[in-house]
Amino acid sequence: MKDVYDIDYLALLSGYILLIIPFYILWYYKTGLVKESFFAFARMTVQLLLVGVYLEFIFDLNNAFINITWVLVMTILATYTVIKRSELTLKYFAIPIFIAIFLSVAITDTYFLGLIIKLNNIFDARYFIPITGMLLGNSIKTIIIALNTYYGNLKKEKELYKWYLANGAKKSEALIPFKREALKNAFNPVIAGTAIVGLISLPGMMTGQILGGSNPAVAIKYQIMLMITIFSSSIFSVFLSIYFADKSVFDDFDNLKKVKK
Amino acid sequence: MESPIISVNNISIIYEKEEVIKDLSFQIKKGEKAVITGESGKGKSTILNSLLGFVPISNGEIFISDKKLVPDNILEIRNKVAWLPQETSLDFQNVNDIIYTPFTFKSNKHNFPSNSEVDQILNSLNISSKLLQNEIDEISGGQKQRILLASSLLLKKDILIIDEPTSALDTENKKQITDFVMSQNNLTVLAVTHDIYWIEQSDKIIAL
Repeated sequence: MKDVYDIDYLALLSGYILLIIPFYILWYYKTGLVKESFFAFARMTVQLLLVGVYLEFIFDLNNAFINITWVLVMTILATYTVIKRSELTLKYFAIPIFIAIFLSVAITDTYFLGLIIKLNNIFDARYFIPITGMLLGNSIKTIIIALNTYYGNLKKEKELYKWYLANGAKKSEALIPFKREALKNAFNPVIAGTAIVGLISLPGMMTGQILGGSNPAVAIKYQIMLMITIFSSSIFSVFLSIYFADKSVFDDFDNLKKVKK
Repeated sequence: MESPIISVNNISIIYEKEEVIKDLSFQIKKGEKAVITGESGKGKSTILNSLLGFVPISNGEIFISDKKLVPDNILEIRNKVAWLPQETSLDFQNVNDIIYTPFTFKSNKHNFPSNSEVDQILNSLNISSKLLQNEIDEISGGQKQRILLASSLLLKKDILIIDEPTSALDTENKKQITDFVMSQNNLTVLAVTHDIYWIEQSDKIIAL
């Protein structure tokens, strides 16, 4: 295995200088995003540094129970992020979205790690944690767009939804166009992205594996499986989130409660 | 005596902590053309919304076709009704969708209109059926309003509930559309409108 060039901490620190230009552009157009992006990068740095330390420890220990607990914590954080970013209310969505994401990850993890890679122990920290992390990280964006579109449109186009109901649609029928729109909005970019992988974009995991010294052929196989599982787990998450949440967000006359800011 | 097809008994409606409707009662018989009038902000549209469970009532009872308005009956009640809110509040892509969307619902499939039925009703409302090929932003508000009405009438329901049916129409079309709706003998109509001609042609006025 070839050695990877390390980045020393001083060099890493000077890496942040590049951010001055994008921050300036955001500031110049008064986007109101400067503070938020500053905190996002600060958070990202602290989180990654901590996780770096933590992962080393967790990999050494490699205890299935601790690994599962860690993945549960990641799922809770993912749930919270989705709800907050889609401007939904915790009260109605915390449990449905948590269960939806948890089930989706459980299904795709088992499929990927157990059936495709055929690990003896699918809770092996070296595979279980990074793969779940990639699944969650990459599906979050899609879930946010889907839920935001779905509940946003139901609120914005309330009259249309009522027109469907009042003209003979069952709730499930009246919701179909809204679900269609949410899926289209969320998955169009994913599909477009999938179609150009390898040509314009080299995905992070594959690049990481190659940098780490893996054979490109192995890296590519992992990447292919990862794209398949991310796509599937995002769709499962969206479908299940809406399925579970819809059981509690409508009143007895099928009206949407106040669930979105 | 035949019981009324719409019966509203002493209802009150609270909207954003304010009692907009207090102790309101009215009855509408089968085939009757009724209209709710009153100044803006008096809660006219709110009453229409309450009839189908879109706005909760805090007091009283509503019966439609002898069915009490409760969650268990709501599907049956909504199946008796064609509903037409103000045209500006509805967003579609194609003109065609306005006519045919309701017929994609299971409860309306048996009523799917033939081309000649569609042509005929559009004709009566002074609309060319060629417009159905257009995108929604290629037609005027008045045309959209009449196509929405056509869709409602094609559903062949017992009751038509309609909010400002002629607001986007010129005088001549107002008259033609009003006369056409009033001539539907078996259809019970409850409208909210400021249109003097529509009010004059109605059998019953519910003034707020």
